[in-house]
Amino acid sequence: MVTMTQHDTESPATGSDVLVVQDLVRNFGELRAVDGVSFRIAPGETYGVLGPNGAGKTTSISMIAGLLRPDSGSVHVAGQLMGPRQVGPKALLGLVPQELAIYPELSAAENLRFFGRLQGLGGAELRSRTDEVLDIIGLSDRAKSATKEFSGGMKRRLNIGIGLLHRPALLILDEPTVGVDPQSRNSILESVEALATEGMSVLYTTHYMEEAERLCDRIAIVDSGRIQAEGTRTELIRIVGELDEIRLDGSGDIAAAAGALERLPAVEHVLTEARTLRLTVREAPTAVAGIVNAAGQAGMELADVEISRPDLESVFLHLTGKALRD
Amino acid sequence: MRNLLAISATELRRFIRDRSNIFFVFFMPLLLVVVLGLQFGGGGSESRVAVSGAGGRLRQALAAELDELSVAVGATGDEAMRDQVARGRAAAGVYIPNDAAAAFAAGDPTQVELIVGTQGGSQLITQQVTTALQAVSLESAQRAALTGQGIPPDEAERALAAAEQDVGPVHVTIESVSELDEEFSGLGQFDLGAASQLLLFVFLISLAGSVTLIQSRQYGVQRRIVAAPVSPRQALAGQALGRWVIAVFQGSYIMAATALIFDVDWGNLWLSLLVLMVFGAVAAGGAMLIGSLMDSDNAASGVGVGVGLVLAALGGCMLPLELFPDTLRTIANVTPHAWAYEAYAEIQRHGGGLTDILPQLAAMAAVLLALGAWALRRSVARAM
Ligand SMILES: Nc1ncnc2c1ncn2[C@@H]1O[C@H](COP(=O)(O)OP(=O)(O)OP(=O)(O)O)[C@@H](O)[C@H]1O
Ligand SMILES: [Mg+2]
Repeated sequence: MVTMTQHDTESPATGSDVLVVQDLVRNFGELRAVDGVSFRIAPGETYGVLGPNGAGKTTSISMIAGLLRPDSGSVHVAGQLMGPRQVGPKALLGLVPQELAIYPELSAAENLRFFGRLQGLGGAELRSRTDEVLDIIGLSDRAKSATKEFSGGMKRRLNIGIGLLHRPALLILDEPTVGVDPQSRNSILESVEALATEGMSVLYTTHYMEEAERLCDRIAIVDSGRIQAEGTRTELIRIVGELDEIRLDGSGDIAAAAGALERLPAVEHVLTEARTLRLTVREAPTAVAGIVNAAGQAGMELADVEISRPDLESVFLHLTGKALRD
Repeated sequence: MRNLLAISATELRRFIRDRSNIFFVFFMPLLLVVVLGLQFGGGGSESRVAVSGAGGRLRQALAAELDELSVAVGATGDEAMRDQVARGRAAAGVYIPNDAAAAFAAGDPTQVELIVGTQGGSQLITQQVTTALQAVSLESAQRAALTGQGIPPDEAERALAAAEQDVGPVHVTIESVSELDEEFSGLGQFDLGAASQLLLFVFLISLAGSVTLIQSRQYGVQRRIVAAPVSPRQALAGQALGRWVIAVFQGSYIMAATALIFDVDWGNLWLSLLVLMVFGAVAAGGAMLIGSLMDSDNAASGVGVGVGLVLAALGGCMLPLELFPDTLRTIANVTPHAWAYEAYAEIQRHGGGLTDILPQLAAMAAVLLALGAWALRRSVARAM
């Protein structure tokens, strides 16, 4: 009798995918930070991981990049099993950590050259790639300044540049726009778009819905260490179905209004944010009159009412009952 | 290998970028070599006498005689003289009261005051000053005898000078026979200070440099290095190599600078360098350990300096090991400094060869292995 045993180091049907993540689990003491995460990224695809603070994004990425050993589950990069001691698959990844990871005493060019060398670049190739990357991240004119003199946005851009240097098969960006001014943020998003157009595969985590919508071919919505839903933007929004969002701003007895609205048959969800109520509602255009009425009767004085079509934020709200940002 | 070199070169570059390192690496050691040289060195306080009080013939004559005995003479005020002796800057002081100067001029019995320090060699200096004073009074007696016979003073002076030419002076050389003096006898003024400052600074700067390891974690670059196709061991080896290069560079600089500026004799250069390289490796191991044990860079530089100073003091880099009481001397052997100090003593003072310093090298290698294994295990865990 012949039995098939699947060997651990062999790729379990990775096909041509650059990244295959299977059932990743990681605990920190009692806390299960990552709880069975699985997904795949095809070549040239930009894959987004959208989730709030503490969802387990960085922990997942640490395991994907071989910085952290999973308690269970596996990561394959282009068919090779990833782990802390696996040098082969690491060479295929470009990691841009959430926290800045640059030497403040060294210049932008020195930082790039150092990490380039670690990626096996050298000589003329390293020099020309350094210049190219400095150009991409718009720091050519500051190449020789110590990075401790850089603005926050400039440091962020260098942080990204280091990940690009060796033209990785998969670029991993962990919340690259956090704490960045709008201008730098836009230039970062444009660079990522340009790279994606050139055919680089990208794994992009964020808690900004707009970024995920703008950049990503497919998006995983994560919360509490789990993928709650996955798909293209359209597929995800279909989950909410015909639900729209109505926002009520005002004063008075907001809590009472929330309670009253929850009992209305058209209202799916009510979320209270200070002086705003966010409702997920079926057929908003017809329901809105009854909602305004009910809120007024409960003692809320309305200042503003807004109806919007669902977006990823509404999907998140629908799936988790929480807002994406707190 | 390439990764290793890239990492260690970057460690070195970061070290050099830090301005404050320049001061500690280049100036401090030389400064302390000078200070120690003046304190313990052969040409230091032991043969310096401070003279105060009334000027005049007595003072001139005494200075001239002491000079003959190769004792350096400094003239100061009374207070300053006592202070210098108390602080060991002068081995002894002579105070000439006004009436003594007058009595000497008049040829009457004269009393001066001799103040002797408590340091080693005070017997020697007492002897030297006494000898000089005897010579002075002998000459004065001779002059008195001649003028007493009715010979005019200037003629008497000429006669005395002529007699000295003819007879030739009887020189008294005073030999020191204590064990300590024996031990330090082959040593130039700055040689001892140079070797001990080398050990002190190589170790201190290495330990204090452990902050760059902690910063690598804080800056997140450690994560980035491990995320690159570099094994954790390679990453650590690169950092250790960087620390070692800094230690050897620091030591070589002290050797070169003290040889050129203070004419320090390092004995067999290759052996001295070998001792430095082994000692530097121990220092690098210590740095890796502190770097992996501690999380705050400020605390690490404090601990680095503290541990560096204590080990140096215990290892004979502040007070020579030979002056240690026996128990302390035994305890000193826990420091790599003491072993390296001994190795340098063999090479510098006794012309020792490789076989003579093998025990010391072996002891340091043992410290290194123990330290290295511990540091490595800790650091691999911390690198991730
Ligand atoms: N080293 C650690 N030790 C203990 N708990 C940790 C550790 N790292 C992460 N956690 C916990 O695991 C959970 C997931 O953290 P993680 O950093 O992965 O979240 P995240 O999605 O990246 O959040 P953010 O958007 O804030 O970056 C959090 O509750 C966090 O407190
Ligand atoms: Mg994170």
